[in-house]
Amino acid sequence: MTRYTRLAGLAVLLMLAAGALIFFYAPEDYLQKEPQRIFYLHVSAAIAAFACFAVVLGGSAVYLRTESARADRLARAAALVGVVLTTVTLVMGMLYAKPIWGTFWTWDARLTSTLVLWIIYAGYLLLRRLAEPGQQTARFAAVVGIFGFVDVPIVYFSVTWWRGHHPGPVIVSNALPPEMLFTFMVTMACTLFLAAVMVAIRYRIETLMDEAPSPASAHLVGAAAREPEPAR
Amino acid sequence: MTRSISVAYAVARKDLTSEWRTRELVPALGQFVVLALVIANFGFQIDSRNATVIAPGVLWLALVFAGLVAFGRAFAAEREQASLEAMLLTPAPPAAIFAGKAIAAALLLIVCEMVLLPAMTLFFGTPLNPALIVAVLLATVGMAAVGCLFAAIVARVRSREVLLPLLTLPLWIPFIVAGGQAVQVAMGASGNYNQAVALLIDFDILFLVLTSLAARFVLDD
Repeated sequence: MTRYTRLAGLAVLLMLAAGALIFFYAPEDYLQKEPQRIFYLHVSAAIAAFACFAVVLGGSAVYLRTESARADRLARAAALVGVVLTTVTLVMGMLYAKPIWGTFWTWDARLTSTLVLWIIYAGYLLLRRLAEPGQQTARFAAVVGIFGFVDVPIVYFSVTWWRGHHPGPVIVSNALPPEMLFTFMVTMACTLFLAAVMVAIRYRIETLMDEAPSPASAHLVGAAAREPEPAR
Repeated sequence: MTRSISVAYAVARKDLTSEWRTRELVPALGQFVVLALVIANFGFQIDSRNATVIAPGVLWLALVFAGLVAFGRAFAAEREQASLEAMLLTPAPPAAIFAGKAIAAALLLIVCEMVLLPAMTLFFGTPLNPALIVAVLLATVGMAAVGCLFAAIVARVRSREVLLPLLTLPLWIPFIVAGGQAVQVAMGASGNYNQAVALLIDFDILFLVLTSLAARFVLDD
């Protein structure tokens, strides 16, 4: 059992514990009833996604400065996990929106900016996949990673800048009863831990992939070794 | 600083001269935006009652896709001739070269807007006023900065035709949010024009600063 398996197991246990708190400890919301319980994981996933994109920003900035392969790998790993967490946020949000607003989607500022965030970093991942791996691609991706972060504060402040359907910030405005706040804090801590573990595992995978010769070049080397070039 | 400006001016002049001699992009873009209006007409059944509601959306769709073509071409030509490397070998600062190319591409897009806006007035009867022109020009500035940066990135990547819109469009959305609101108001909808234009200027400044910081890393080899 490697370090990573143990960490992953711990993260799963923590998430189960958070789930138990969400369903059995947190009180039911008076107005919104059961769907309100989505809030805990929805907001936690969003915050964890922001944290991942902040790591992408940091890794990209460090890469542009020092060309450190580690910073680039960290940015790659965090971008993937961030996209997954943004997907979770969007899907959980839609499941909440259907019973509460009567529709899965509305073009509210926060929903729209979160969707754009997802598209930006999905584009980042696509750039990494389509471009030849190398220093130049890493540099380009770093630029995309830094530009993409512009959308994160837009998502965060969208509920204050444009009043829409999406509820405003309830945590910082201290609008939650203590049991809900406690459940939320635990869920957020567990989700952040889960995100960190996923980034660590992905970082390891990226390291192994960087070290392994790419399948294309391995094939070329093998072919060249087997059949000598025909004489012209 | 003055050297950077003269380099940017020289690069922009080179691009515009080459466009003037070949006349390869602007006529195509002009036709493209007029075609976009024709398609919008059939897609939306535009008449004098709904024109001012639909026209802002048509304007941004046409402009965004014309912009993608214009900015994509800005670096495609350099790639085909492998002339970008030659320019980068000179002691000219890469950021200045980038600025020159962005300015030239923005001017080409503005020429295309000079076709699009009167054509909309002619075909759809929407108003053509200074408020509209100011909003479109302000959006063009920021869109050109971001668009050229990503065009420079994808120029050296496989499947660039796919990647350019994918990377550029999400970052243009702030300009379309603010510009869209300003254009709607300029065409007669209710709303706050000054706030939208102020937001456009904010986004312009933000993205111009970010682009000027990032240009070095995109063009350096």
